[in-house]
Amino acid sequence: MLDALDKKLLKTVADLEGLPKGAYNIRKNGKLLQRQVSANIDIETNAEGTGIIVKIKPGTKNESVHIPVILSQAGLFDVVYNSFIIGDGAEVTIVAGCGIHCGSSETEGHAGIHDFHVGKKAKVTYVEKHFAMGEGKGRRILNPTTKIWMDEGAAAEMELTQISGVDEADRLNEATLGPGSLLLITERVLTEGEQTAVSKNNIILQGVNSRANMISRSVMKGHSKQIFHANMEARNKCFGHIECDAIIMDNGTNETMPALKALHPDAELTHEASIGKIANDQLTKLMSLGLTYDQAVNRIIQGFLK
Amino acid sequence: MLTLNKVYFTAPGGEDGNGALRNIIDGIDFTFEKGKFYVITGPNGSGKTTLAKLIMGINPISSGSISFEGKDISGLSITERAKSGIAYSFQQPARFKGITFRDLLSIVTGVEDEKKFLEIVSRVGICPMSFLDKEIDATLSGGEIKKIELATTIAANPKLAIYDEPDTGIDLWTIGPMVHLLKKELTPQTATIVVSHNKAFLDVADVVLIIDKGKIAFNGQLKEALPLLTDLSICAYHHKCEGEQDAGCLR
Repeated sequence: MLDALDKKLLKTVADLEGLPKGAYNIRKNGKLLQRQVSANIDIETNAEGTGIIVKIKPGTKNESVHIPVILSQAGLFDVVYNSFIIGDGAEVTIVAGCGIHCGSSETEGHAGIHDFHVGKKAKVTYVEKHFAMGEGKGRRILNPTTKIWMDEGAAAEMELTQISGVDEADRLNEATLGPGSLLLITERVLTEGEQTAVSKNNIILQGVNSRANMISRSVMKGHSKQIFHANMEARNKCFGHIECDAIIMDNGTNETMPALKALHPDAELTHEASIGKIANDQLTKLMSLGLTYDQAVNRIIQGFLK
Repeated sequence: MLTLNKVYFTAPGGEDGNGALRNIIDGIDFTFEKGKFYVITGPNGSGKTTLAKLIMGINPISSGSISFEGKDISGLSITERAKSGIAYSFQQPARFKGITFRDLLSIVTGVEDEKKFLEIVSRVGICPMSFLDKEIDATLSGGEIKKIELATTIAANPKLAIYDEPDTGIDLWTIGPMVHLLKKELTPQTATIVVSHNKAFLDVADVVLIIDKGKIAFNGQLKEALPLLTDLSICAYHHKCEGEQDAGCLR
């Protein structure tokens, strides 16, 4: 069952107070803790026993599935391979996330390798939060991989958030878009202390009239470091946009490399990137409304990562 | 209510900021009284906005003192001045990411009360309700962001309200209602300072202040100010003017 610590981790990464409604699969320290399927959502362990396969029936509407992972075992590095098959016309929200509690000096980590197949005209919202806590000195490592294939007219919205406490993160997002499909990725990463986070994104606009928008918001506190790569490749008449903003606080560093590749004459690709401190006029404005300097900084960062 | 006592603001001159020091505000003495509507005007670059920013504490004064309700506020931060009842409406309001009009109202009022927000929006009148959840970001038009700026200033219920060119970017049909609104918000216990060139504001001023070269060139009624205003209306940037390519001229 869930103990107090599990509940805190679940609350933070999946916004859950106890067990969720509908289908879910909770993984703790590399093992299945609890699972529930629904009439339209099936969850089974894959043949290799290394993860789960989540199948959403075609035409499913307004259902959700929660698949949080919690880690609190010293020295464990949990690797999991999960597949999501979203049937044609289905509309579903998938809430994933990993919470690490590190109580020792040994490294703990999780690598969630997720692949998605989004059927024709299906709509998926994928929310993933990463968070680590605990008094232990061990490093907390999260290396997620998300690969998504989108059929004709499919839509996917992915919200990828790393809240705090993660020492090392190496993320890979890959997407291939079919005709008329729409992909929106929003990534928010906050690092502090000596933490590092790398995010690599490869988006291929394969089908005619496919559209992709990749938004990245990074905040580097302390001496932390973030590296962001976004490659968008257009192979058809399509539209793609990359927007990456980074706020440097203290002595943080950032490298941002948006890259656009148009292999079709009707491709439309744009990007905007910015790195800098919090703008002075924003601070002055909030202070003129009565906030102190520190409150103004917090409010701006909170909005930026919202 | 607010007294400026030999206020100076000195900064390096020259376009690159490496020139000799010069007095942007050159020893201003003035008292703003309760219950009055002040309009500050004057040529571009005369020091109007700088003066307004000195009052809010956005720029520190170089010498002299500022007192507000009998208390010396020269050393107070922007936050402390805001808390003591001064509010400032920026000429070019800051744009954020992920902060909405509702968020600003909640910061300024200290509450998250839907009823109160709706009351403020309807009191201000010039912002539709749909503005509440708008993000104060780069997608807002110049007029929209100015209306929101004005509303957040009014929502603070300030004792002293300072509006720096509130009419910039505002459509012609809103200027009348805006002037009316700012007049209506003035009470016998408060004072309003508007920095503007707009005749609509000058017409309703209790006191017109003309700033020129960092000094008060005139203070009094509009009709007495008219000869001087006409005199000063010559573009201050004419020596830089390059005809249609003119980049120095803002008006």
